Amino acid sequence: MKFDIPALKINQKFQTFIVLSIVLFGFKLFAPGSDSITYLLINDLLVGFTVAAFIFYLMDWIHLKKINPLSLVMNIGIFTAVIFLLITFSNTILRGLSTENNIYFPKTGFIPNLVVFVYSFIILGSLSYIFLAFRELYSLKQKRDINTYFNTMVVFFILASYSTLLQKSTDLLYIKDTFFIISILLIIINSIKISWIAFIVKKEKKILLFLSIIIAILFVSNLVKNSGNNNANLLVQFSPALNQFFNIIGIYGAIYFSILFFTTLFHIPTAEAFDRKAQEVTSLQYFSKLITEVLDFDDLVKTITDIASKISNADAAWIAWQENGGLKSVGNNSIGFLDADLITSFVAENKNKYNLNETVFISMDKFQKKSQLGESFSNITVSPLRAHNELKGYLLTGKKNNFLFDDEDKNALDTFSDYASIAIENSRLFEESIIKERLEKELDVAREVQRKILPSKNPNYEGLSISTVFIPAFEVGGDYYDFFEIDKYTFGFVIADVSGKGISAAFIMAEVKGIFESLSKTIKTPKNILIKANEILQRTLDRKNFVSAAYGFIDLQNETMLISRAGHCPIILLRDNSIENLRPSGIGLGLNFSDHFSNTLEEIKIDLKENDIIVLYTDGITEAKNKLLEDFGSDLFEKILIENCDKDADYISNKVIREVTLFSQNHPQHDDITLVILKWKQKLKIDGEKEWQNSTLQPKI
Amino acid sequence: MAEFNASTKDLGEVSVIYLQGYLDAHTAPSLENTFSNLIEKGKYCTVVNFTELAYISSAGLGVFMAFIEKMRENNGDIKLSSMSDKVYNIFDLLGFPLLYEIYKTEDEAVNKFIESKNLEK
Repeated sequence: MKFDIPALKINQKFQTFIVLSIVLFGFKLFAPGSDSITYLLINDLLVGFTVAAFIFYLMDWIHLKKINPLSLVMNIGIFTAVIFLLITFSNTILRGLSTENNIYFPKTGFIPNLVVFVYSFIILGSLSYIFLAFRELYSLKQKRDINTYFNTMVVFFILASYSTLLQKSTDLLYIKDTFFIISILLIIINSIKISWIAFIVKKEKKILLFLSIIIAILFVSNLVKNSGNNNANLLVQFSPALNQFFNIIGIYGAIYFSILFFTTLFHIPTAEAFDRKAQEVTSLQYFSKLITEVLDFDDLVKTITDIASKISNADAAWIAWQENGGLKSVGNNSIGFLDADLITSFVAENKNKYNLNETVFISMDKFQKKSQLGESFSNITVSPLRAHNELKGYLLTGKKNNFLFDDEDKNALDTFSDYASIAIENSRLFEESIIKERLEKELDVAREVQRKILPSKNPNYEGLSISTVFIPAFEVGGDYYDFFEIDKYTFGFVIADVSGKGISAAFIMAEVKGIFESLSKTIKTPKNILIKANEILQRTLDRKNFVSAAYGFIDLQNETMLISRAGHCPIILLRDNSIENLRPSGIGLGLNFSDHFSNTLEEIKIDLKENDIIVLYTDGITEAKNKLLEDFGSDLFEKILIENCDKDADYISNKVIREVTLFSQNHPQHDDITLVILKWKQKLKIDGEKEWQNSTLQPKI
Repeated sequence: MAEFNASTKDLGEVSVIYLQGYLDAHTAPSLENTFSNLIEKGKYCTVVNFTELAYISSAGLGVFMAFIEKMRENNGDIKLSSMSDKVYNIFDLLGFPLLYEIYKTEDEAVNKFIESKNLEK
């Protein structure tokens, strides 16, 4: 079993209280009343302990429930009323139950004693609650820990209560009076601490005003009723000290609630202003929380105008947002868009007349089109919304029927518009980051498309070694290369560069691949393939886009190469330590769709020699830039090629790429880099078709 | 971000666009605007001066393609002039000399327009 420790403690306190009550009752029952000081002392100590036990029990109970001040006051009122009734009718009730002369102090009998005991206990309990409620009210909204004041007061309450036991000897009466007077002084001091009433709203203040006067009267009348003939007084008979405590609490109540009444009375006129201020603070708190949560622009402007009209007590609010060089009304709160637009355009026309660096008031009297307004807006405020010192728009609020804005409204709007600007800027940044993210996703797709389009591995021929390097740029540059097995003796290759970047370039590239793939199967010369490709591309390329391409066939049997070039970089032939840039004329694909294209397109034939190297590349290599924005350039490129012309294809391509990377290491790569190197090794010994078939064109996997 | 600037000089019938800096995918829209403005004003005879242009990318080349047809349909043209060797090489590779008239100097290009206008008359 597991016990809840605080609950157990409360339980123990309650048990202590019950045990003490039983002991007290036993004492009352079996020890006959006496005026002796010993008897009174024991009696009053027992009562005191019982009250203390009950108060400690109640204290925990009250702390467990968070009670608001108004209901505490209400509870005090109820218990005061209960005590009032008990005291007023004690004579009647108890006399009906008892036959003895002294109804408050029965000499014999269990039942009469019990009745008086229970009756007194209800008063005792109510008193304890009232005492505790005062303690709670006292500690409400106290900034510093000033319980010392209250505890000192309680000590004097106890001293004053017990010193009544000394009243038998008149010599010591001054002690009782001293404690009593000090207690009252402390009560007055502590009763002034009622700052909590400032924090309740106007409506509650009105209720409090009403309650406090009634409760004050109840306390006074309880006091009056309880004093009087000592022998006919229930509490004096039960315990003189408790009686004194009762009187002190009565005085406390009377003073406290009188002060409360007058303070509340004086607070009522300012209650509305105070409520408004509190609402402003709450709105701003709410809004600052919202800044981090609401990121949708439309939702945000609605919230802003809603709060703006609240804090300025306006009838309407809207935002004039700068868009396409003009002002557009958004987030209209309690105003039609026609009215909002009319007023917005009035403000826009006259913005130079007013100092719109802060909130300004503008009277609608000067507005010529005032009669066109659907509702009679008479005064408006305009507050600038800025982000990074740039004007983004204005926050406007309006009042109808000649109600005026005051400086309080201006201050509130000034503060608020600053918050609102930040919130709007945040939402804009958020939108931007979403767009950026989407763009990056798009680029991921584009890179993936490109990766899938390019050949995953190079074909392998005995007489021809092939090396390729492709380095994509972040933005996807649109480079494309491919190889085709045209027939047993013919190897086809293509290199192309699509204009533009990103996803659009990737899609054109995919299309270009499809075109070359299918044309390679049916058309027998590079020139005709390019002419046909240009025709097909006419249907899809828009005017701004084009594709540079170079297409070539290598006849493995006859050792010849046929090439055609449509606007692409020259094809480099590296032979005998020298470079030849093959530049057959030709216009880029997609630049011209007339006969001009085919008429100008050349095709050249090269006889291949052993160790000839053919280099295909895109401008990503020659235009690779260093930190000084200098190009890698074709001179350096050619120099590297010549220096390494005796090496194999892989070595050469690695060497070139290493040099390019070293050259441009401090500058981001902004275009794809593609390098294809074909090295013609030797003339194949072809004695017959059979041997040819066995030796080449079988890709080694 | 590399800088780019296009400014226009009005020589009556002929307009000259001066390019400066780097013309690539990011700066191309600025040149597109310049061409659109000329077309709006009915100026179809355009000479583009490349003296100050440091670099042109494929997207930059696309701008000329986008407007040449419109200009030619309206009895005008885009003539290119004063290119550095590097820039000319880029145009040359793509076969632009087969599509556009490219001149060594701005004056040559402007005079060509004036001559052809005189012939028409």
